[in-house]
Amino acid sequence: MDLSYTEEQQMLRDSVQKFIEDNYDISERNKLTATDEGFSRDNWKQFAELGWLAMPFAEEDGGLGGSPVDTMILMEEFGKGLVVEPFFPTVVLAGSALSQFGSADQKAEVLAGIIDGSIIATFAYAEEGAHHNLDHVATTATKDGDFYTLSGTKSVVLNAASADRMLVSARTSGDVSDEAGITVFLVDAGADGISRDDYPTVDGLRASEVTLKDVKVPASAIVGKEGSGHDVLEAVSNRAILALAAESVGAMEKLYTDTIAYTKQRVQFDHPLSEFQVLKHRMTEMFMEHSLAKSLTMKATMLETQGSDETQRTIHALKYLIGKSSRFVGQNAVQLHGGMGMTEELRIAHYFKRLAIIDSQFGNTDHHLTRFVA
Amino acid sequence: MDIEFSEEDLAFQQEVRSFIEENLPKGMDLWTKRGDWFKALREKGGWDVPKWPPEFGGPGFTPTQRYIFDMEMARHSTPPQLPFGVTMLAPILMAYGSKEQQDRFLPGIRDGSVNWCQGYSEPGAGSDLANLKTKAELTEDGKHYIVNGQKIWTTLAHIAHWIFCLTRTSSAGAKQEGITFLLFPMDSPGVEVRPIITLGGSHTVNEVYLTDVKVPVENRVGEEGKGWTYAKGLLAHERTGLAGIQNSVLALEKAKENAASIKVGDGTLLDVPAFRNKLGALEAELLALEFTELRTLASVAAGGSPGPESSILKLKGTEIQQRIQELNLEAAGVYAAVWGNKAAGPKFAKGAMSAYLGGRATTIYGGASEVQKDVISKNVLGLG
Ligand SMILES: Cc1cc2nc3c(=O)[nH]c(=O)nc-3n(C[C@H](O)[C@H](O)[C@H](O)COP(=O)(O)OP(=O)(O)OC[C@H]3O[C@@H](n4cnc5c(N)ncnc54)[C@H](O)[C@@H]3O)c2cc1C
Repeated sequence: MDLSYTEEQQMLRDSVQKFIEDNYDISERNKLTATDEGFSRDNWKQFAELGWLAMPFAEEDGGLGGSPVDTMILMEEFGKGLVVEPFFPTVVLAGSALSQFGSADQKAEVLAGIIDGSIIATFAYAEEGAHHNLDHVATTATKDGDFYTLSGTKSVVLNAASADRMLVSARTSGDVSDEAGITVFLVDAGADGISRDDYPTVDGLRASEVTLKDVKVPASAIVGKEGSGHDVLEAVSNRAILALAAESVGAMEKLYTDTIAYTKQRVQFDHPLSEFQVLKHRMTEMFMEHSLAKSLTMKATMLETQGSDETQRTIHALKYLIGKSSRFVGQNAVQLHGGMGMTEELRIAHYFKRLAIIDSQFGNTDHHLTRFVA
Repeated sequence: MDIEFSEEDLAFQQEVRSFIEENLPKGMDLWTKRGDWFKALREKGGWDVPKWPPEFGGPGFTPTQRYIFDMEMARHSTPPQLPFGVTMLAPILMAYGSKEQQDRFLPGIRDGSVNWCQGYSEPGAGSDLANLKTKAELTEDGKHYIVNGQKIWTTLAHIAHWIFCLTRTSSAGAKQEGITFLLFPMDSPGVEVRPIITLGGSHTVNEVYLTDVKVPVENRVGEEGKGWTYAKGLLAHERTGLAGIQNSVLALEKAKENAASIKVGDGTLLDVPAFRNKLGALEAELLALEFTELRTLASVAAGGSPGPESSILKLKGTEIQQRIQELNLEAAGVYAAVWGNKAAGPKFAKGAMSAYLGGRATTIYGGASEVQKDVISKNVLGLG
């Protein structure tokens, strides 16, 4: 057993930390979220140059052959920096689907574009009425010769307005929430029949409701096999949860350390707040929640890397635990800052909102706890 | 002991319900015809100011009637009044203000033509309110106070016409001494309001900078140096109103409806055991809290003081409010994220996020929970 980072991994972490330090002051970050696209294309270019967009992909696909551990390192630092560039939808969601299930052509074209930074991609999986069930797919894909026609509406599609390509889960057979009969398609984001309703999200990112009306795609657009979309969704969801967990761990670290720093300098009743026992205990609990969340994130990530049988169950436990600890740490960071905790000026407000949204993505605490004990 | 309302109380409840049925504007009219509603309440015999005593035009409700009245109003979602004038300042003026001050300020408070804001907190005086530093110095001729300092978190200062303000007139003795209660218009020279943007981007609170603001001595409430005593009474008023128990009863009903509108598998979110249990736990706790409020009321009605259990109303009430907000957020699912001027998914989703964000403040203002617990452990439990 070895739980230490390799030299390359330490270098990776250092380089992300340096990037965040140089570019991700909270006021800079808030400037980015106020722009049209909600992120910086220049930063994206740098991500490509630094090799971050190539990190998790196999060397034969043009990647750096990294593992989920590398993604964990990146995402944890991104979590600390509240990074808004579309790394998660592009590399984690679309990227892991294509690298695990994509055809040679899809990899050559799209994965290569993701790696060199020229393609931004996303995954349209959520639908109204699904409530965290990825297999609830009402969007239809009707076969017509060598083509499929896609129709339906997808919700909260991250960075859809900036995306060049979009993976879409659609039903080729079966009932609306059957596990079988789902197929994932790779679609040109500007294809005829696609319309969007774009909006900012409360955590400062961008998303859209995406409506597909008779969008025609060739059979070669299928990612994996027809009808086996459930496997793609599950695999993507697992990687997504690992990435979001790492991001949460980063955010929680900032929340508890910012709170410690604040209570040390805030004086009330002639004492720094940090001297009041109830607050000391609360911060100790915040630290405990963070430590435990970090441990389980590491464990699940390593199991996924090894392809262990325990992975699925551990990932359910992880998403539950992350949701629970994020809520505790986030709410108490706000509480212990008093009125200051309510202001948009401090970065803790932004971590707090980000963590609230992470709980709503890829299944919340109840959803995963139910599956963990099933 | 009798858990039922008396015949008279039941008749009163019926009277309130019929009144609401007849007078509450429906649908969109609720917004455009608010004035008519408050007028009707007033004409009914002081129902617009249910907490005011009869000598000031209030209805003179018994404590039980007050409870019934509040419950019916909350359950019918009648339009709220801004609390600063009617609930917070008015009782102070009635108790400590001069006859001139009462005649001058109470009518504008009552008809809503004058908005007030509460200028207590300062950057260095939050939980430790007595630490306030905003200085008020009497001019040599003794006719004015000159006020200098800064207030913070002042809710709705940007739309307020007047402020009731705690100032320091002396720094001798204990912190609680030397605090003076002043009233002045927000358009006085030297008053500057700067917005503070809170979680989710809303503007309700402000910083208020005070530079050489000239306040006539006749705008001082009560005696110089006694402001702390007056304000403490007022804080108690603020707290009892903050438990929001009847609103939570309604909010919990709404949360159930929201959950019932979310399909999960063959049923709805209401059928999911994990979620259902959380709703159930809240309902049980709320039943207990509601009855705690009734116990408080009963001891006041019997001519006693509110009793130690009253001290937990705000603490528990705000905790319950926050947990209901969490459930709505969970019910919103992925749509919790949707922001800006767009809406998607279930109708309640966006409101759920705003309420969750804004709701975090309820355990901070009006006595932060940790400090409240300190106060209770000391004053109620006798723990040092
Ligand atoms: C939305 C909002 C609206 C408001 N509106 C108004 C208004 O209209 N007018 C007005 O005057 N004020 C208003 N306030 C201010 C409010 O009263 C203060 O925020 C509150 O008193 C807490 O003070 P603080 O923010 O300085 O926090 P602090 O006092 O710095 O407290 C920070 C944290 O430390 C804890 N703490 C403090 N002391 C102790 C202790 N001795 N032991 C243990 N824990 C402790 C607190 O519980 C809290 O969790 C408003 C605040 C908010 C958030």
